Amino acid sequence: MRVFTDPFDRLLDDMQETARPQREWVDGRGLLLITGHFLSGVGAGGWAFASALGFFPGEVASVAIVAASALAHLLFLGRPERFWRMIKIRTSWVGRGFMGLTLFMAASVVYLALRVAGLGDTTGAVAVWGLSLAGAAVIMLYKGNVYAVCRAIPFWNSSLLPVLYVAYALRGGTALLLLFLPWTGLGTAHGLVEVLELWIGLSAGVCILFYLTIMASSSVGARRSVEDLLRGRVAAAFYGGVIAVGFVIPVAIGLLNAVTPVSLGALAVVGAASLVGDFYVKYAIAKAGRYLPHVHGAR
Amino acid sequence: MRYGMVIDLKRCFGCYGCQVSCKAEHATPPGVFFARVVKRESGTYPNVRKVFLPMLCMHCETPPCEAVCPTGATFKRPDGIVDIDREICVGCRYCMQACPYEARYFHAKERFYFGAQGPTEYEAVGYAQHPTGVVMKCNFCAHRLERGEKPSCVMTCPTNARTVGDLDDPHSEVNRLIKERGGEPLHPELGTGPSVYYLPA
Repeated sequence: MRVFTDPFDRLLDDMQETARPQREWVDGRGLLLITGHFLSGVGAGGWAFASALGFFPGEVASVAIVAASALAHLLFLGRPERFWRMIKIRTSWVGRGFMGLTLFMAASVVYLALRVAGLGDTTGAVAVWGLSLAGAAVIMLYKGNVYAVCRAIPFWNSSLLPVLYVAYALRGGTALLLLFLPWTGLGTAHGLVEVLELWIGLSAGVCILFYLTIMASSSVGARRSVEDLLRGRVAAAFYGGVIAVGFVIPVAIGLLNAVTPVSLGALAVVGAASLVGDFYVKYAIAKAGRYLPHVHGAR
Repeated sequence: MRYGMVIDLKRCFGCYGCQVSCKAEHATPPGVFFARVVKRESGTYPNVRKVFLPMLCMHCETPPCEAVCPTGATFKRPDGIVDIDREICVGCRYCMQACPYEARYFHAKERFYFGAQGPTEYEAVGYAQHPTGVVMKCNFCAHRLERGEKPSCVMTCPTNARTVGDLDDPHSEVNRLIKERGGEPLHPELGTGPSVYYLPA
């Protein structure tokens, strides 16, 4: 593998490729965007489960994580001071995501304040909770769609991608709650969250398998991306992060737990490993993206 | 009025004149090529061909970059030119992912061709038009078109491979060439409606 000390040299090298790899959204400051996508998914998923279960520490953590994701997004922008201009929701999924994130932050903070003030059961609080869930749903939905509408990058241009991102956001949410187990417990919801985590984790795994199978028989650019994932420049992140840590470890401990109950610490490990896998899914998908080749049959 | 361009691949011999003249016209920083020539080999020995594909922003009829832009910084002018309002762009780079022609570049930070020596006088003047933290791209040399001149790449091409004109005018030179020589845009399957057509080699 060639190593470039200057991004200019790397760009020139990339331009010689038949299907040029995209780098803006994954390398350098692009990593902030991936981090933002990861955190926003985990936070939104965590909010959905924690607020449904009335698990206050989980709710607070979810809001904090989404706020951190907003910061990561902001730092990624070339002109962060202009962030307020991202309001074109008619055609832009980034604009929709920004609005969803704003709605979520506003509604969830108000809802938590009402909970603290002992007004959590009022009609107004329930309405605000509904708004926060709507914001969380937009946050979970928008990221996959941001990628999926890019016809320039065949590997991303699939209607399966939003489904995969939603599945991983939900899984990230349950994983976040599992992290709390050794410290706060989850009360009666303990078993439910474990089952959900395992079920969504398996579903996400199947979803990835489908996605790669479809892409492997798709256009030249998409096939190159699958090659990158399976035996190329993204293979280490895919096998190590997505498969080994993000899938095999959580599923193995989850299945073991089904046979004989494991410790709360082990379940927290399931949560942590799932979160690592969630990050690497986003990283690997972004990293594997390659632009459409322009000259057919070129080397 | 809809500006369009026709590029005759039979005439292009890959001299990079368009790429260099574009750099001179727009004083673009290192790593930014509004106009560039993609050079590829195709076929297998002994039937090998070298293909030159001059590329630039295709100024699409339905530009995907414009649709995805969350701020409206990318816009389409009444004359068909797709341009960027650099005062509105937030530098999210979504347009770069959406453009199938890789015509957009992110100007992350000021860079000079002679590195630590700092900017040359030419760069000091030219780079003033390129704010950092935003995306930049070819604008068909709108400033030249408005003066009744041809874009820099068209003027420079030593083989007259490039022709610019009005795609809405059925009698224009660009439409004549497209009809007579069977001009095709790049990636028509994407439905972006590019305004740049290629005549077969």
